[in-house]
Parts: sequence; structure tokens; C-alpha cells
Amino acid sequence: MDMMAPKIALETVAAQASQSQPGDVTIRLKGISKNFSAVQALSDINVEFHTGEVHAILGENGAGKSTLMNIISGTFAPSQGEISFGERVISRMTPETAAALGIAICFQHPAVLDDLSVLENLRVALPGSLFEGRPAAVAAQEMLTRVGLDVPLSMRAENLTVAQKHLLEIAKALSLKPKVLILDEPTASLDQDATDMLFGRIREVTAAGTSVIYITHRLAELRQIARRVTVLRDGRVRGAALVQDISDTDLVNMIVGRTLAAAFPPKFQGEEKRISMSVRGLSGHGLHDISFDVPRGEIIGIAGVAGNGQAELMRVLAGLEPAKGSIRLHDRELTQAELLDTAAFMPSDRHVEGVASELTVRENATYSAIEKFATAGIVSRKRELAGVRAIFDELAVKAPGMEAPILSLSGGNQQKVVMSRALLSEPGVIIADEPTQGVDVGARFEIYRILRKVSEAGTPVIVNSSDAVELEGLCDKVVVLSRGHVVETLTGAAVNEEHIVAAAVKAETHVDDAGDSGIARAKGWRRYLTQSDNAPAIPLALVIAVLGLYVYSQNANFLSAYNVYNILLLATALGFIAMGQTIALLMGGIDLSVGPLAGFLVVVASFFVNDDKSAAMMVAGFALVFVGALTTGVINGILIRFANFTPIAATLATYIAIQGCSFILRDNPDGYISATVTDWVNWQWGPFPAAFIVLVVVALLAEYVLRSKRVGWRLRAVGSNEATARRLGTPVDLTFVSGYVACSLLTAVGSIMLMTQIGVGDPRQGISYTLGSITAVVLGGTSLSGGRGTFIGTLLGAVLLTEVLNVVTFLGLTQTYQYLFQGLLIVSAALIYSLTRRRSAG
Amino acid sequence: MANGVSMLDNMQTNGVRLPVALARSFVTVSLSTLLLLAVCAFYAPSSVSWGALSGSLPFAAIIAIVGLGQLLVVQQGGVDLSLPGAVSLAVVVATHYPQQQNELLWQAVLVAAGFAVAAGLLNGVLVSIFKLNAIIATIGTNALLYSGVFAVSGGVPSITTPLLADIAGGTTAGLPHSVYFATALMLLVAFVLKKTVIGRRFEAIGASPLAGRAAGLRVRLHQVMAYVLAQLLYCVAGILIAGITREPTAFQGDSLLLPSVAVVVLGGTSLLGGRGFPVSTVVAAFFLNQLSQFALAVGVPFSAQTIIQALALGFGIGVYSIRWRIGSGK
Repeated sequence: MDMMAPKIALETVAAQASQSQPGDVTIRLKGISKNFSAVQALSDINVEFHTGEVHAILGENGAGKSTLMNIISGTFAPSQGEISFGERVISRMTPETAAALGIAICFQHPAVLDDLSVLENLRVALPGSLFEGRPAAVAAQEMLTRVGLDVPLSMRAENLTVAQKHLLEIAKALSLKPKVLILDEPTASLDQDATDMLFGRIREVTAAGTSVIYITHRLAELRQIARRVTVLRDGRVRGAALVQDISDTDLVNMIVGRTLAAAFPPKFQGEEKRISMSVRGLSGHGLHDISFDVPRGEIIGIAGVAGNGQAELMRVLAGLEPAKGSIRLHDRELTQAELLDTAAFMPSDRHVEGVASELTVRENATYSAIEKFATAGIVSRKRELAGVRAIFDELAVKAPGMEAPILSLSGGNQQKVVMSRALLSEPGVIIADEPTQGVDVGARFEIYRILRKVSEAGTPVIVNSSDAVELEGLCDKVVVLSRGHVVETLTGAAVNEEHIVAAAVKAETHVDDAGDSGIARAKGWRRYLTQSDNAPAIPLALVIAVLGLYVYSQNANFLSAYNVYNILLLATALGFIAMGQTIALLMGGIDLSVGPLAGFLVVVASFFVNDDKSAAMMVAGFALVFVGALTTGVINGILIRFANFTPIAATLATYIAIQGCSFILRDNPDGYISATVTDWVNWQWGPFPAAFIVLVVVALLAEYVLRSKRVGWRLRAVGSNEATARRLGTPVDLTFVSGYVACSLLTAVGSIMLMTQIGVGDPRQGISYTLGSITAVVLGGTSLSGGRGTFIGTLLGAVLLTEVLNVVTFLGLTQTYQYLFQGLLIVSAALIYSLTRRRSAG
Repeated sequence: MANGVSMLDNMQTNGVRLPVALARSFVTVSLSTLLLLAVCAFYAPSSVSWGALSGSLPFAAIIAIVGLGQLLVVQQGGVDLSLPGAVSLAVVVATHYPQQQNELLWQAVLVAAGFAVAAGLLNGVLVSIFKLNAIIATIGTNALLYSGVFAVSGGVPSITTPLLADIAGGTTAGLPHSVYFATALMLLVAFVLKKTVIGRRFEAIGASPLAGRAAGLRVRLHQVMAYVLAQLLYCVAGILIAGITREPTAFQGDSLLLPSVAVVVLGGTSLLGGRGFPVSTVVAAFFLNQLSQFALAVGVPFSAQTIIQALALGFGIGVYSIRWRIGSGK
């Protein structure tokens, strides 16, 4: 009952808000502060967002914009201050409250699931009520048309361009008819047409009374769309005004002026104008015709609003990504491989690319230059330690010890270890991507000093930073990027924060690559047909038929009712188990325990399902079979989700344990399965076992649920991308555990088929179904990386596998061929699927 | 100031904890083994008698060798399900090819090694170049290897060569030769992994392929290498089995797959890849073998033995994963 009360209250608030007039305050923030442990992200923020107008939030990277939006949408709780919605103070904002109040947010990184279709992405994210009363496709089409997104509904979201994903995200938010719409840099990847369309939509919803909060870096956009603007700097409000009342110069002055308490080393003073490195016409990966020179002794800065090609440029310069154009180092043109070899890259995402978190400080410092301490390939511990000590002294690395885990160091010292590694490898050029991110002030100065020293020694240094103050202090020349173009190259006295920020925010370049256009039609409708999850079904059915006909031409008995019945009967047991395995693989996991489980359940049944037992006993036996399966599924699910086991480790442990249980129950084969039950289970209808027909029906039903029911989308969502699924409100743990339970229950059904085939409780049987089920699923076209798969394919895979085994005996071939065919089948199927997938994705 | 103090705290706590933490897997698995031996001596003295030990040690040695192979693949974030086919193929090549003629033995060994390299390359190329899932690729390779097993043997056992029986099945200074082989291979793997340029790079890439790539290391080459070297180790294990067993079957490898993964895990190596512990893996092989011996000696049927192994495995994973979470400060 307690749960109900606030909900009703919220609805009342929402109702009140909907009656409000333009100009009323929708959301009021009063004295909001937020600190993350010692870091003050926001202090004393007071803003009012009005009904029916666009309110822009402006500020540099790290000014606190995203934190503020996360507080409004309920993701973070403020440390102090209060939020009011309409007239009512919201004591505790949660994502659920925010959604109930009608607050919709479009994230900068769209919450789109790559493995699901466009339609499924809409349906899994939006409440079912939006699709009621008419065909879902019609409703979905309407949502897409509204944002000018013209793509087939059944197209896989993976094939959407970044711009199209943003439009999809916007479509989702608009369809909720929100009271408050938060847009976080929505135009970053949009071209001019799509931007104009978006502005049109924004004007429509504001006219209808929605309050739009628009985060941007671009002054030009601000003038086009916003009525009010609030500027944040260092987590504080630096100014607020009506857009019409304030000049660009005043806005830039409000944005800049960050205080940085670090001293910078003196800049390059010499007259040297030899060029050590020159970059000409780099294009590709969102870059367009980038050219600049690095004079000897100078440090080059790369600037721009985050996400405008800086990160891509750094990767190209480090040789990690190919690009058109030329890169010359000391008058020699370098290939990508040579660049990769000679460049030392300091990645911005230190925990992913910078350090190997499992290794020690020493190992992290030396893994790229280890041969410098080796003789004939054998590393000298003494020389290695001496080398590391020397460089650590030089860079003032503070570490608790050489053998300490790298993560026990502070961010600054981790970065110095990354620098040590770079310097130890004696690089031709240093590419530093956000070198001081997450680094304390003291260590920053050290890093600046080292970069300057390296640069003075003649090694080109290129630094990307989102911190304009840092670029001003450190660099001799700054290249400003916007949407992948160089918009300005600043040198000498012009290298200052104001110029850098102004160049970045005033740029009016738009994405002009037609292929990346949000409006542009997806290339060819035929393409998406071939990438449907069920695409393998047709070639598989063909292979099954052709193989059958070929063997039939050799031996007419192959297609006799008796043999067809036999093949299908064997395929039914495998089919049910493989359907279970499909669920595990769809979730990006695996269940190795299905084989022993199937065998174990047969052994369990062999105590109850005998001819001399009563019907009640038999029913009890079948009930026990399902209870056993349920227990196994729950254990697997819990081990994986709550005890931090990998799926392989968890199901391997249950594999061995279940095998042991089988042997405890029966040392040797015994307990003959009831002939009556066998007759019933194996009931024949023409050449078809009735059980096989049941399997087909179950497969079709499961396929339907997978494609058209929320449960199916959720299953694929967690396998496709767990983090995104969670953002969309999927109950992730529950889905995983239920998935493993479903897998075990389907295995139980398979074991009923199996018991009639084995006929006796034999603890040694069933184990081969683990590999068999994985093989069938792979043949069927389900991906082991999760998110995409098909029950129909699995069914056909099971039939094909059984057919191949049958063919070998029918053609009088030895077991050599049986294994050969099996191996070739798996490898070629996996190769074909993987190559077609890569082609359609690329 | 506050920063300085917390740094100092870190230095002290980590400074004390770390040297121990590094050898953690070795300490854990060694102590468990000693405990097990003590329990054996107390409750089932027959299981630690010289006869029982020398009888079961060759099997522990075999598990240790295949465990070392599996270790290399697991270090690169994979898992090798082609082990049964690989071992079985080496067994039948070593027995069927020479047909008890000693002078043909070395040729058989070369042929077996050739198959191993080919299978390893196939696995490696499928996984690292074509980006197939390691499970699928190695299931496929396993089937191909078994097709080779039947092509060579027709599925029937053959009697081993006397020379191989001497080399693999003999004893020196009271210890079975297979134990020397396992020890030598363990030292070799440990030396290469920990002391050479190749090994250090191999571990770094396993710990983080992305960081390795960002540093310009040859990630794919090292991944292929893992599969090839693993196959060569399986091949050695297969040839040893062919010598130890008078008339080995064509399916000798089947029973080794699960123990190989189990000893890697019990040895403290994460199934997610990274740092490997060859010595701990070998100790874990001895532990697992002794556990079976103990169970056998106290009259536990075959059945309960595997349950005990499963519990040991689950316990092992649990212990390591919990420690790991604390260790990484999460």
C-alpha cells in the first residue's frame, strides 16, 4: 500500500503540470550541489526551466552539464538542494519518478541495441501502451517518420549510422510526449537537413508546452533554437540570460576563465624551423582532409568540442587505424605498420588501453620495450629493474613497489607508468590522448614537464586535450577540429583559452558525408533481408534436402519412412536440448552442463518410469525430472550472476557435479524405461514422430516469442549489450537466471526423448549432447557472442547434424568421414556466418 | 596533504600484502595439496603408499602436461576443446604408425608433431584472424582431429612399441619417466613465460589485448602461438600415454578435457585470460589426482569422486574470484 501512495501523488502532479501555461516554471532547481567523494562537481546551482521554451545549457567539457542532467533525470541524487516539479517539491528523484513525471532524456551515446531491429529497439524501450490499438509497425513507422528517419523497421540497428541512431533515440523520447525533454548534444553527428528537421520538431513540442533542456557547445545553434541560456563553469552557474540579450563575445567570456592550479614549463623558444613531422590530407574515420606540421621542438595540441574527430585523429596518428593521406616523420613517409611500430600512444581510456590491470607496475612499464633488457631473448631481471628504476626516478613515479598491482597507484602515477613505457621504447613520436585525465594537479605538472623535455630532445609530441587551459599552457601550436575538419590552426600568442574555445564553439561546419546522413536512405532494401537472424534457414533447408536427395540417389532406402522417422526421432532429442543451448547463447553465455543433465535426468526417470510402476509413480518421476532441471538452471544462473563465475566455469562445475550425481544413483546401467511410455513418446504419424512435430511447434512458438514479445527482446537485449539493456530498464539478473532455467527445462524435455532411445538408466549416456547441442546451434546460425540467434535455425541445425551422421552409415563410410563431415560442417558454417556478418556490418 | 597521507597508507598496506598476493595461487594450491596429503596419511594411508603414488603419478603427469597446454590457450582468453582429438591422434599415430617397430618411432613422433602444428595453426588462424569464437573453432578442429584418429587407427587399439614403453613407461631413480617429462615441461613453460621476451609479451597481451594492440604489439601472432604450443604439449602427452599404456584405445584424450580446464582454474589462472601460473597448474594436477586416489582408498565409488572434484573446482573458482575482487579494490 505504501508503494501506491506516491504514485497517485505523482500522477496528480503530472496532471497539474499539463494544465500549466507557457512561461510557467516546469522544473526549478534550488541550491543543487553534488560532490563525488572529494570532488565538487556542482555547487549551488539555481535554474528554472520554463514551460514551452528551449533552455540551453552551455559550458566546457567537465563544466558539470552531464552531472546536472543526471540529477534532473534521477540517475544521481544531489548532495544538497531541492528539485521542484511544477509547484511540488520532489523529495527523492529516481529514474522511475522522472519517467512518471514525463521527463525524457536523449543521451549523447544513444541507448540502442545493435543486434535488435529498429522496431524491436522501439518496442523494448517504450511502454506497450504506445503500440496499442493498431499494428505495432504502423505506430513505429509514425514515430520514425516524425523525425525523418527513413529506414526499414526490420533493419538491424547495427546498420544504422551514428546519426540515424541519434534520430532513433530522439524518436523514442518524442513518442513519450514528455513534459520535459533533455537533449544532450543531439546534433553532434547530424547533417544540416537532419538538424533542421530536429529544430522543427523541437519548435513543435515547445509550442505544445514541453520544456526542452538543450545541451550544446555551439553558439550558432543556440541562436537558432534557444530562448534562454545558462552557462556553467567549474560546476557553478556563471551566468544566465535570454539569448536575444547576450552577445557571442559575452558568452565565450562566461565559458572560459577556468582556473588551473598548475604551472607550465616554458614554451619552445628556439628559432629552429625544421619540420620533424608533417601530416597531409588525412581522411577517413570521420576525418576530412586534416593537414598540419610539427616543427622540431614544438608541442602540438589538438582541440575541439569532444567527439569532433580528435580521438580518431590520435588513433590514426598512432598507426592504430588506417586513413587516406600521408604522414611523414623526418622526411620519410610512413606506412600504418611503421607508424604503429614507431609511435608511442598514450590512450585516453587508461584502464582499457593504457594499462593491463592484472599486471604489476614493473610489467606494465616494460611490456613494449622488454627486448631492451634482454640478451638472446632472455630478460635480465637486473637490467629490467635498473631500467625501470632509472625512468621512474626521472619521471618521479611514486609506487609502493615494483611488484605492486598497477591499479594500486594513483591515476597520475599510472599515467606516468604509461609514459615510462612510452619513453623506454624510444619512440619516433609521442601521441598523447588526454594525458592528464584523472590525474592530480601535482602529477599534471610532472607530465607537462616530461612532454616538454621529450619535445625539446627532438621527438614530435602531439597532445589531444579537452581542457583548453591545458592546451594554452602546454602547446606551441593548436589545431582546432570541428566535425572532423580543421577549423583553425592557432600559433604563437593566439594559443590561448579564449581563442581555442571560440574556434571550437563558433564553428558552423556540419557533417557533410552523404553516407553518414540521417536522412539518407539505407543502402538497398535487399541487404537487410540477408542479415535477418533467420537468413540461415533457407540455405540450411537446402543443404538438408540436397544431401538427402543425393544419398537417396545412391540408396533408395534412405528416404524410406522408417529411416526418415529414425533421423527425425534422434533429431528431436538433440533439437530440444539445442533449443535450450540457444537460449544460453542468445544471452551471450553458454551451458556446458546440458549433456550430463540430460543423462542424469534419464537416470532419475529410470527409478520411476518402469513398466511395473503405477501411473502415479511415473507422474512423480516426470515431476522429479523437471524439478532436477529447474534446480540445475537456478544453480547455474546464480553462480554466473551472483557468484561472479564465468559461464564456462560455472557450467563446467555443474557438468562434473551432475555427472557424479548420475554415478551415485546408478553405477551401471539399470532400470528399464516403461515400454508403454516409450510407445507413447515415439508415437509415429506417417514418417514423422509426433514428438518431432511437437518440437517444430515449440520452435515456432519460441521463435515468435523471441521476435514479438517483450520477454524475447529482453533475452536478446541482455545478450547484445548488458549495460544498454540495463539503461533501458531490463531486469538483467532476472532475465539471465530465467534464461538458464529455461535452458535446463528444455533439456529436461530432451531427456524424455533420450530415455526412450537409451531405454535404460545409464550414467555414461548423454554427455555427448553438450558438444552436439553447441554444434547444432552454431550450424543454425546463432552467434556465440550473444544477442542474435534463431530457434528455427537451431531446429534445422539439429536435423542436419543427425542427417549427416545417418548418411555416413548409410553410404557405408567409416567413422573417419563422420567426424570429417562434422568438423568441416562446423568450421565452414562458422566461417560463412562470421564473414557474412562482417561484410554486412562493414 | 590529505593526498600525501593516503598515498603513504597505500604504500604500506600494499607493500606488505603484495609479495604474498603474487604467489597467492601457488600458496593456496600447495597448502591445499599438503593438507590433502596429511588427510590421506591419516585416514587412508594406502593412498600415499609408494605403490599407490608411483602407480597414479603417471596420470597426474599427463594431466599436468595437457593442463600446461590448456593454460596457454586460457591465458589468451580462449579455451581449447580440441584437446581430446589432439591427444587421441598423437596416441594412435605413435602406436599404429610404427606397429611395434622401434626404428619407426622417431618418424611417428615427427608425424604426430606435424599434425599438432597443423591443428594448432588451424585453431589459431580461425580464432585470431577470422575472429571465430574459440569454443566453435576448437569443436570443429576436434572433429577434424578425430577424423584423423579414425583414418589412422580405424578406431581399434594397437600395441605400443617397446622403445616407447621404455621411454615413457620406465622409471629412473624410482620415479616414473612421465614425471620427469612433466617437470621438465613445467620448467620450460615457466621459464619461457616469466623470463623471456616472448613470454612476457605473451602474458601482457593475454592480460589486455587492447592495451597490447595500443602499444603496437603483435597480438594475433601471440594468439596463434598459444594454440600451436598447446597442441605440441597435447602431442607430448599423447605420445607418453602411448608409451605408458600397453594397448591404448583411440579415445584416450576424451577423459582429459575437463581435468585440463579444472587444473588451470585450480592453479589460479583466470578463464578471462592474462597471467598464467604453470607451476601451480602442475601442483593442481597432482592435487586433483591425489583427491581421486584418496576417494578411491576410502572406498568412495567413482561417482562421488567427480562430485568431490566439482566441489573442489567450484570452491577454487570461488576463492580466487573473491580474492580477485578485493585485490582489485572493487
